[in-house]
Amino acid sequence: MANLVHIPEVKDLARKTPIEIFPDPKIAVVLTNQQGGATNTPIIKVGDTVTIGEKIADAKERVSAPIHSPISGTVIKIENAYNSCFEAPTEAIYIENDGKKTKAKPLTSITEAELANTKNEDLLKIIREAGIIGLGGAGFPTSVKLAVPADKKIQHLLVNGAEGEPYDTADERIMIERTANLVRGVRVVRKLLGNPKVIIVTKESKVEAVPKLEEAFSKEPNTEVRAAHLTYQQGDAAMMQKAILGYETPAGKRSYEMGTIVQNVATINAIANAVFEGEPLISRVTTLNGDVPKPKNLQVKIGTPVKEILSANNVNLSTLSSVVVGGVLMGTALQTLDAPITKRTSSIICFAKDKAKQAQKTTACIHCGRCVSACPVRLQPVAIHNAVVKGNFELAGKLWANDCIACGTCSYVCPVRLPLSHNVKMAKQ
Amino acid sequence: MSNESSNELVVNPAPHIHGSMTKDRMMQYTFIAILAVTIVSAVLWSDVVTPSGWNLGLTVAIGTLIAVGLAVAIDFLIGKVTSDSEVNTWSAAVFGLIVINCFTLGFPSMAMGMEVGVPVEAPLAFFYIALISIIGIVVFKKVASIAGRKLVNPAAAAKFLVLIPTTFTTLITSWHLSTGMLMVPSLAGPIGSPADGLGTAGNGYASFGAYLQGCFGSPNGTEASVESIMLLTKYHGWVGGASSIAVIIAGVALFVVGRKYFKWKITASYLIAMAATSLIFSFIFGDVDLITRLLFSLFAGSSIFLAFFMATDPATTPFSGTGQIIFGVGLAILTISIQTFMGFFGGSLLALLIMNLLVPVIDKVRINKPFGR
Repeated sequence: MANLVHIPEVKDLARKTPIEIFPDPKIAVVLTNQQGGATNTPIIKVGDTVTIGEKIADAKERVSAPIHSPISGTVIKIENAYNSCFEAPTEAIYIENDGKKTKAKPLTSITEAELANTKNEDLLKIIREAGIIGLGGAGFPTSVKLAVPADKKIQHLLVNGAEGEPYDTADERIMIERTANLVRGVRVVRKLLGNPKVIIVTKESKVEAVPKLEEAFSKEPNTEVRAAHLTYQQGDAAMMQKAILGYETPAGKRSYEMGTIVQNVATINAIANAVFEGEPLISRVTTLNGDVPKPKNLQVKIGTPVKEILSANNVNLSTLSSVVVGGVLMGTALQTLDAPITKRTSSIICFAKDKAKQAQKTTACIHCGRCVSACPVRLQPVAIHNAVVKGNFELAGKLWANDCIACGTCSYVCPVRLPLSHNVKMAKQ
Repeated sequence: MSNESSNELVVNPAPHIHGSMTKDRMMQYTFIAILAVTIVSAVLWSDVVTPSGWNLGLTVAIGTLIAVGLAVAIDFLIGKVTSDSEVNTWSAAVFGLIVINCFTLGFPSMAMGMEVGVPVEAPLAFFYIALISIIGIVVFKKVASIAGRKLVNPAAAAKFLVLIPTTFTTLITSWHLSTGMLMVPSLAGPIGSPADGLGTAGNGYASFGAYLQGCFGSPNGTEASVESIMLLTKYHGWVGGASSIAVIIAGVALFVVGRKYFKWKITASYLIAMAATSLIFSFIFGDVDLITRLLFSLFAGSSIFLAFFMATDPATTPFSGTGQIIFGVGLAILTISIQTFMGFFGGSLLALLIMNLLVPVIDKVRINKPFGR
């Protein structure tokens, strides 16, 4: 597509840095809700002793994913903490580390040889019990996404290794360092979807990952590694289907109805860990980047306070202007550095105080139309913005505000820095 | 210390990074492009002295200082006095440059020694330039911005407002044609026929080409072909249109440097539609010489400068690509129609104002459906 805006990657330093294991936190702040769907409630109480991988929060509904303790220790309190998934404080379980690293009994798991003879419903149960959600940022429970109705034939599995967000390199390092694990994770998903064609989609700029993937997947049946020239916007599932498979999913239709499932590499990695190792999702790889002494990719426990990660990596907190988690284009600016890492925290990007940046104030729209030509889903962001400013949400709806994929490109290109993306999102709500 | 810094965190909605293009930078690029055109005009005209004894190049230079200086100063003053008006120095400076560049200066060689009653000479020209700049910045930029959106191109509207009641230079009406006062041949008929010895309008010119030479050629008597006059150097008309090739180079450079922030689709669609409409009219009227009408339509100063630097004004043009093409084609057809059927040689300015007013309607036209619809 001609009108996709190129946004600089800013990944050079971080992408060359191997994943480093970050030490367990002294106190883990584990949010009981990090998933899309039904609400979890704690299944432990204050004073309880918990072990690594023990389930501590769950919901009865199907569309949900449980939460597990990332460390062993004692539940010291249950109260609200800032949740970057919902940009608001929500319930959290505070666990004080006893330093013993006592492990809970692993989840049910299978060997690779057993995969062919394992029922799909048993695999989905493992994935659900491991608490796996879309780690690309969407947070939708993976066990629900992969439970495709029997009458729907899935033709394509796109493994999303595009990692379009600038600064983020966690997925790239997973593709480089955990390639073998990805291969067996893809086998699980392929079995669940009835053997579709698999396309591992990554970007040609990931020069270290591409040959590793090509080699690792070379013996897999009906599988292709596609190192494409993709812009940031094409990391979105619908945009990726257009770029790789050439069709536009009709508005209102779900991806699987068109015969395609798009699954992020970090999620596939977590699926492999759960199915073959019995490990629940209690840690993830996150990129520390931006105005930091040394960009890094860290394997961190879910529930680790961001401040602890920044301090341990010599980030000067007094010079920080903002800290963004989950990507600089779609992510959230933290209200407090006490906020914990969630399953969706793909990156922690620091911005130092910068006078030049602060000087760029919002001024009146000059009607240049750049947001209109930049929108990857062909909306008219400024028209929706104007409707929202006037409180005319009906008009915003008529301008298809609901079709917005929240990529932020309109605000990125705006020469007067209007909060276009934000207001279109307001219209969606 | 850490608590302190937590409290100071900047929490803005996503996205948290922005592209490098800003409004000021857009205006700076535009300023440089139009300034280059102005300098070329001033240099080209520096060898002409009008009957009142003013060097034409110097007139352009002083006019530029007046227009830009007044616009920037008034913008600054209004910004200081009123709270709800931003100071837009670069935007005001660009406006000032457009005022001087769309002002009609120069002296047609055919009119040498004749009384034509047009304010094309300094020092009277400075008065009109100042008036257009003041009215444009106050009424059509500042008041319009505070009231809502700018509806019409400020420079075009101000020139229209100032010159229509006072002189007849902007619009040369049919009345002038019938009296033969300015010896303008009518476009509503076959033009460019040297064979009949009189051309079409019966104004003493052998052809429309000869008329163009008389109107735009050097008053110093240097002979030049119609093609080279229309493309390289005109000595009469809009200041910004003195050299069509300079406008094209500066305009294209602006579009290349400014990438997708400038509405080049308007310029492209306007010029293509202008050429097409001109050729269609040539066939309808049975012109012998197709090229002359085409050269006039495309490269008259009011056409070429307007195409690159006025019809692309962001505030008064459509925001979608499709809308911009509709705007450009509409502007071309309207301009030629006004020039041809109403005998207005300043038709492009009137056409621009009419198209500006239609922008809210064009913006509602929706041809490109969103993704997956």
